[in-house]
Amino acid sequence: MLILRNKFNFLIVIIFLSSCSSMNITEEKVYSEGVKTVEASSMSENINYDNKAMFANATVYFEFDKSNLTSKSIQTLKSAVNALNENSSIKISLAGHADERGTREYNLALGQRRAETVADYFVLNGISSSRITVKSYGEERPKEFGQNEESFAKNRRVEIN
Amino acid sequence: MKKLLLAIIFTNSLMSELVIEITQGTEDPFKVALVQFGGNVEISEELSQIIKGDLKRSGEFNVFDENNLLSLPSNESEIVFNDFRILNIDFLIMGKVIEDGMNISVEYQVYDIKKASKARATTVFGIPNKNRQLAHYISDGIYEEITGIKGIASTKILYVTEDKIFNLVVADADGSNEQVLLKSAEPIISPAWSPDSKKVAYVSFETGMAKVYVQDIASGRREIAIENTSQISSPAWSPDGKFLSLTMYQDGNAEIYILNLKNKNLTRLTNHYSIDTESTWSPKGSKIIFTSGRSGSPQLYEINLRKFNARPKRITFDGNYNAKGSYLPSNEGFVFVHRSDKSFQIAMKYFDENFVRPLTEAQLDESPSISPNGNVIVYATKDEGMGLLSGVTLSGAKFKLPAKKGAVREPAWSGFLR
Repeated sequence: MLILRNKFNFLIVIIFLSSCSSMNITEEKVYSEGVKTVEASSMSENINYDNKAMFANATVYFEFDKSNLTSKSIQTLKSAVNALNENSSIKISLAGHADERGTREYNLALGQRRAETVADYFVLNGISSSRITVKSYGEERPKEFGQNEESFAKNRRVEIN
Repeated sequence: MKKLLLAIIFTNSLMSELVIEITQGTEDPFKVALVQFGGNVEISEELSQIIKGDLKRSGEFNVFDENNLLSLPSNESEIVFNDFRILNIDFLIMGKVIEDGMNISVEYQVYDIKKASKARATTVFGIPNKNRQLAHYISDGIYEEITGIKGIASTKILYVTEDKIFNLVVADADGSNEQVLLKSAEPIISPAWSPDSKKVAYVSFETGMAKVYVQDIASGRREIAIENTSQISSPAWSPDGKFLSLTMYQDGNAEIYILNLKNKNLTRLTNHYSIDTESTWSPKGSKIIFTSGRSGSPQLYEINLRKFNARPKRITFDGNYNAKGSYLPSNEGFVFVHRSDKSFQIAMKYFDENFVRPLTEAQLDESPSISPNGNVIVYATKDEGMGLLSGVTLSGAKFKLPAKKGAVREPAWSGFLR
């Protein structure tokens, strides 16, 4: 019996099953394809923060797997709102982050949710949403590298710039 | 802190040259004897070392050292089956390296000791300078002959390394033959193979925001999966390669969409104010598992794509963190990240059982990826703060794939390549 299989158009396996026993006699060809390295040009925006009111720069922190604002966060955000009201030309970027525990994609979504919560707070307090951009880095850009609650707590944050 | 980190990286790079550490084997492995192949001694030694490593790493073989054998036959007529039977050896492997200019091929045979007969005779035709590939093909043939399951030594693994910059890397399943697909100053996450293993989809932050890209491995040609102002992440290929499921943040919240790769049409799959992400397809493409926070904590849900307007069905109930599920190739169950007490572990659940089977026991295990034969799960873990890859077989064998340079994470196993 002859079985001819053609996989990826490269590999041909011919199997002869001998008639008298169950022994497999086979032939195969090694297939190997090349790999090309690509370099991503970093298009990360480089905002010049110099002429921004420093008061608007702040970081707020969150509980594990949570995106609601703590009373301490609200205090911080209040002064940021004031700074934004004082200078209506300032635009802000909100970057959400998570600690390293749990899965990366869920943490990306969690970081986004945290940043959206902060954005909602600003909008509710009269800041135009056109002045706000929101993004998440999930757990990919930690501030602290330790595997302890202290470091985790510092990484669960939204940075306001 | 930085200095300490560098020291660890350096030690790792010194110690880990192609070393795959088997930390625990299966209880009743097949006992095999591999007699060094005839022909070119240098090539034969190189091949047998790789083959032995492949077989041992599967966790299912106990490979006898030549020194412990009673006889070393160089051809079939010299085999004394009793010499192997006394040692309780199940299979004997012999072979011959044949050189034809630059081309090398190997003829090998697998003998069943109990039956005192030849079980397999195979010729593998190699390609110049690809002896590792040739050896992996032989390992897979041996594995398949003895276990009845397709081997995975000739498959590949994608992963991300961080060493000042981020690299998306492809390597043989044993961690050797590393080649960089993408270098970037910004994070790369969630690599996913196309079903034909010719393309990869991944998330890159190179524009300052998460976006999904699709890259052809051989040509390096790549494109953004979908032009959109929103953050986009978590790509997963449908088994037929025609669709990508992904997570989009159009209204600020993570929702799952299905992208038709041909006409770029988008179909929304989820609609809930909580997080929905980490979609993966069932082996036949009729269902999708995803992570959702809709119950108040991340849990896994399954949605039937064949049913119009089907509601997602919750499939995990143990604990307050179950995420990143993927189906076993047999469709009998799924593998996921499970929080137990304070630690995050890799666990699995069969659809016909109502309990979770933990597979690992470290503190921060994540990103499980299942081998195409369904037998091995590779995942990311941390050792003294350093990211590295580990593996566990469903039969309980464990191994480590240490980093050669920098932190390693986000493994993704290819389909069969042989």
